[in-house]
Order: sequence, then C-alpha cells, then structure tokens
Amino acid sequence: MSVVESAVIAAAGLGSRLGLGKPKCLLEFGGKSILQHQLWLLRSVPDVRVVVGFEETLVMDAVRRLRPDAIIVRNAAYRTTTTLDSYNLGAMGVRGNCLFLDGDITFGPAHFARFLDTCRPDRALIGVTALKTQDAVHIGVVDGQATWFSRERRAPHEWANLAWIPPSWLNKPAGESVFERLAGYLPQATCEVESYEVDTAADYAIAEPRALEIFREID
Amino acid sequence: MTTCYAFDLDGTLTSIELLPRIARELGIEREMAYLTRLTMDGVLDFEDSMRLRCACLRAAPIESVRAIVADAPVDPQLAEFIHERRDRCAIVTGNLDFWISPLVERFGCAVYSSRARITDGALDGVESVLHKGEAVLAFRQKFDRVVVVGDGVNDIPMFEVADLGVACGIVHPPAPRLVQAANFVVNQGDALCRLLKAL
Repeated sequence: MSVVESAVIAAAGLGSRLGLGKPKCLLEFGGKSILQHQLWLLRSVPDVRVVVGFEETLVMDAVRRLRPDAIIVRNAAYRTTTTLDSYNLGAMGVRGNCLFLDGDITFGPAHFARFLDTCRPDRALIGVTALKTQDAVHIGVVDGQATWFSRERRAPHEWANLAWIPPSWLNKPAGESVFERLAGYLPQATCEVESYEVDTAADYAIAEPRALEIFREID
Repeated sequence: MTTCYAFDLDGTLTSIELLPRIARELGIEREMAYLTRLTMDGVLDFEDSMRLRCACLRAAPIESVRAIVADAPVDPQLAEFIHERRDRCAIVTGNLDFWISPLVERFGCAVYSSRARITDGALDGVESVLHKGEAVLAFRQKFDRVVVVGDGVNDIPMFEVADLGVACGIVHPPAPRLVQAANFVVNQGDALCRLLKAL
C-alpha cells in the first residue's frame, strides 16, 4: 500500500514545440490519451489534482469523464508562468509530501508502481530515467542519490519530471524552474523509472512504439 | 489565519435545482426554463429574472413550495462539513427567505437570501433581491479569508470578492463564465469536501 495521498499533474502548458494545437496531456496513442494513462497510474491515490490552463475546457471535460473525483486547479496565467507555478497552485493546502508529475509523460506502469511503493512519508524521492529526450535535464546520480541537475552537463540519466517532495520546496522565487528549486535540496534519493517525455517530433518518434504497448494495458 | 466559507444553495448544497423542481410540481416547468435560459444567456439580469420567476410562482400555495424545498436532497458530506464549522459558514442564495427557511435551518449556519413580501400568508412580491457579492463582503468581515462555492452565473459577484473560488459541477457542469472566475473546479461532493478541508 503506497503512502502517496496527494498527486499533482501539471497539464496547463502550451506544448508549442510539438505544434499539436491541443494540450499535450491529450496526445493519444492507440486512442487513449496521456492524461487517461496518468490517471490510471494514479488510481490508488485518493487526492488527485490536475492543473489546467491552455485549452482548459478540453482538459476539464476529459478529467470529469475519466476521474470525476479529481480536483481541477486553474492556472489562468499559464501563458506567462511555468510548471513551477502550476505545481504551487496544484499543491495548495497539501500537508506532508506530495507527488508531482508533468502531464506530458508516459511512464512504464511497473516502474511507476515501484516508485509509488518506494515513497516514504518524510523522505523525498526523485524520478530519474535513461537519457533519451532532445531537451533533457541531466541528472547526476551517485550511489542512488541525485547530486546535480543540468541542461548543459551530460549524464546517462535525465530527470523524469516526477518527484515526491514537500510542496514547500517549490515556493518560488518566480522565473525559476522546478529542477532549479530541487537543486537546492540535493542530494536526495532517486528511483529509476521508464518514462517518455514528448516535447518534440523526435521525442514522439521515440515514445510512440512503447506508449502504444503501455496504453493497451489501461482498463 | 481564519477562513470562512460561503456556499450557493441551488445545485451546490442541494443535489437538485430548486426553482425548476418547484416549477415542475406546479406545471410551469417550460416557462421557468425559458426564463432561466434568458438569464444564463445574459438577456435578463439576475434581479429582473428573479422577480419574473417569483411572479410566475406567486399563485402557488406557499406551504406547497416550502414542502418541496424542505424535501430537496442535500449532499450529506457537505452538510456535515458545514455543521462542523457552522460559525464559519454561510449560505448565500438568491432564493426567497420564506421558501427556503425549512431547508436552510437544517444547516445551522448564517443565511443571506432574497426577501419575500408576504401578505395574508401569500407571496405578494419580492421585497429585496440579494446581491451575493455584498453578502459575502458582509459575512467575511471578521475573518481573514473567504472561500466561495457556486455553480452559476449569478455566483460570479461572490467570486469577485473572494480569496478563493470553487466552481461546482456536481449537479451539472458549472457555468463557463463562472469557471473563468474560479481557482478550482470540482465535479463530486467528496472532492469539494476534500478541497475545502485542505484549504
């Protein structure tokens, strides 16, 4: 039984590099969206919050259909703010650690379940994955501990945009990104997951074959 | 920090919309639905709409209306939430005080509503139509923060003066214009209670 009580999905962004014209969380593989996949992965988490912004009506309708007990959080300033702001809005009032994930990521279900099982109430956990995306945030891992984040310095792993942390770690200064905030709290324990972020057409090509397999498992 | 909560009644605390239910019982559902649509489309402002709807219902025996309202189903989790915080909760509704009193007394919290003019035991007209924004401002005076919950266009004035607004889609999807003024949207009573307890 996982200790994860609250999860925030950041699904407010424009996804402009992919040129979809719709939110990336609604990107489909085999007729099922990434949002549907993530809500399925989070089916055992009682308090799920989805932060919406770009084309919010589409995302809100999907949430209402897929997980009617989820809380929808509006980031009305999504055009001028970052995922950090969405996470801060989404975790409002959450006590203790909270699970944060970006809404454009496909996760291997077994790895994701193991991540949930590895979470402990008072210990942070950072999701890392094998380097594969074009615009990766590289992460240094030494003896299972994350020691640095960097866009420039290369490493075999990248951040999986998945973290189990106290929401207070994300209290901004504005303009910072999530990994820059997390960098102030390193070293922290990591858990390796299988994940596929889709920012560009090249990312999509890498993600598609495995996403099609994974999405078939959704009930 | 002390937080208070202001709730719309129709379709937010009750699991049905009251005026359409009353209209159905009286056989004037279609007329009432037309007035409601004109209001939602912005053709009629809320005060004019309220006065017209009350004019439609004027002929109805008051006790029949009160009985219909008194039987309106209420989300039990929300009722419990309010009951446990009755000194920090208020019901803010455009409905007439005389109609809703048997229902709202069950919650045991403050109530702000429109006021009926009663003559010889019968509804004679509308004494005053509640401005929801002013009601919330009055209620919140002794608190640091106010969280408001509603589902319709007439709740927008509450949202404009609140610290946080929750658009409620429990009975039907919340009005799109209200969503634009909201911080949160919820579609089930347990999600609403979970959110309110966390905030």
